Amino acid sequence: MNENTFRILLGVGGVGLLAGTLGMGVRLIFGHVHMAYGSYVPWGLWVAFDLLFLGLTAGAYIIIVLTYGFGLKQFEPLVPLSVFSLLVSLLCEGIIISLDLGHPLRVYRFLVTPSFSSMLTWLVVFILAMWLIFIPFLYLLLREKFVLWSRDPERKGRDIYRALAMGRTEYSDADRERDRKWLRILALISIPVGFIFFAVPSAMFTDMLGRPHWDSAILPILYMFASYLSGCALITLLACVYHPQEPVIGFLSRLLRGFLLLFLLIEFIQIFFGYRTDNPGAVAALNLITNGPNAWVFWVIHLLLGSIVPLYLLTARPHDARSVAWAGFLIVITFVAVRYNAVVPELMSYNLEGRDLFFVQRRLSQAYTPNLYEWLVSLWVVSLWVVVFLLGTRWLPVIPAEKGGEQHAS
Amino acid sequence: MSNRLPAEDPLIRMQRDLKRALAKKPSDIKWGMVIDIARCIGCHACTVACVAENKLPPGVVYRVVVEQEIGQYPHVTRRFIPRPCVQCQKPPCVRVCPVTATYKNEQGVVVMNYDRCIGCRYCMGACPYTARCSDFGDWYTSDTPEMPGKVVGRAATAKGYEARPATEYGQDWPERGHGSPVGNARKCHFCLHRLAVGMLPACVTSCVGRATIFGDRTDKESLVFEMIGSPRVTRWKEELGTQPAVYYLA
Repeated sequence: MNENTFRILLGVGGVGLLAGTLGMGVRLIFGHVHMAYGSYVPWGLWVAFDLLFLGLTAGAYIIIVLTYGFGLKQFEPLVPLSVFSLLVSLLCEGIIISLDLGHPLRVYRFLVTPSFSSMLTWLVVFILAMWLIFIPFLYLLLREKFVLWSRDPERKGRDIYRALAMGRTEYSDADRERDRKWLRILALISIPVGFIFFAVPSAMFTDMLGRPHWDSAILPILYMFASYLSGCALITLLACVYHPQEPVIGFLSRLLRGFLLLFLLIEFIQIFFGYRTDNPGAVAALNLITNGPNAWVFWVIHLLLGSIVPLYLLTARPHDARSVAWAGFLIVITFVAVRYNAVVPELMSYNLEGRDLFFVQRRLSQAYTPNLYEWLVSLWVVSLWVVVFLLGTRWLPVIPAEKGGEQHAS
Repeated sequence: MSNRLPAEDPLIRMQRDLKRALAKKPSDIKWGMVIDIARCIGCHACTVACVAENKLPPGVVYRVVVEQEIGQYPHVTRRFIPRPCVQCQKPPCVRVCPVTATYKNEQGVVVMNYDRCIGCRYCMGACPYTARCSDFGDWYTSDTPEMPGKVVGRAATAKGYEARPATEYGQDWPERGHGSPVGNARKCHFCLHRLAVGMLPACVTSCVGRATIFGDRTDKESLVFEMIGSPRVTRWKEELGTQPAVYYLA
């Protein structure tokens, strides 16, 4: 990424943060009063973004499986970048879901009074596990560079790197060997943890009684492949930008196309058999997705821009880094539509006759459209992702600089 | 429905049943409710009484009355189905709560620990009866103009009523806007704070049709036990296996 692109993207992120400040201010000062969700549709746009960020972490998982599971060494230069993107995604996920909570300061309750019958508890357990695995993982990946940078008298922030190197001034071959051994151990632990991690969010939904659209054995598979698809799209985009080497791009573009086709197949199965059940609850939710007032989200955002166009790019120009990058970018930014449709339509269509006529009040309505404040908060968090990631690539040794010609902080 | 006038107002009998139940060891009591749909006239008095008793803010309602229109003109009728929390004996909301903020107490009532609830709203999606609400912090007086120093105005009006918390669960909650239950999930709790002092739940005493019967469902002499034995008895969404403690006479 050249300096101009970097500055433009950083500027876009900064403007997003600035614009989103209004939404953040309203949320932090007035709580949930000005938000559009209610008691019948208790989860909305922020939960969709939460699932999006969780899914984006799958990019690092894929790179680690390829590098440490299958021994494909050509992906090794992407490991620090992908792990860093995972941590930024987890950070943003934590922020947006905390904002969605009625009492975010009580999250410690997950540790003090957990209920292991709840799938949400298990999701938190696995999120914590991801943090516990990948913070040391990233540190071990970068430690050698921290030591080198802390010794460089010309480098800005040398004191910080010295602190990060924990006073170490030399990095011997024995240190390298020991770190690599630990990296391998952590990578191997992360493979089964990640496999479960990407299915756990679906268990939260299948656990809800009497919701036929969610009460399906295919949901965990759908969620896993949704994560693999969005995560692979992100990592493919990053590879095109920071490590545009032919074998890597060619492999990732084919992998991304495979995930996209598989995801579309599973999604088709869910919709087709959902309609075939003729269950009024399932059909009502599916009608909202495919034929409701927001059907354009499914047909235009997800299917056209997020599936057909990327599929064309990945099929017609699988070795062109620019086209592959566009395909990855389109899948990532449109994927919130998939996550939105995974959460909201079922909540809106719940089958209890005349439910929103019981007691007419906006919080007791089956209708839900995210309002401006919800969008602004989401914009703030997405912008935070962009800014933190860009600054990380500049101030941390996470990108294969010698390949992409990046300028580190110096 | 019988054409005979009742020899005794069911409220009197329920009050007597309640006194007998409260004399038992608390863990031996299992509260239950029977709602006779044929007696419900759809006046919504129970809804209003519940809102007033528990000082419920806008958008929070524990007991609604579902109105259904049946048949085709000219053979049309309406039926009214009051829906409190049905107090499942296998409550799905309890299973999904990640921080054990909601649980079934020893008397079979699903209750909330407001100080523990993180406000994730998972229980709302998980309740198949949509019997839970989230307190988003709304105020009835939010659009009332402020008139400082007067007896009217937003602050004075709020202080006169909605800022004062109800004594739900027998506790003194802070003035509204200062922590829980704002931000929490809230639900019907069979007016446990009233039961504790020998009073029937607000929805029961306010029911003009005497459609709502309440008592210890393990007490064989109680009216509620007698009603549960009716051939008309049914439970909502029985197929889900939630085993509600609220029964309906269809």
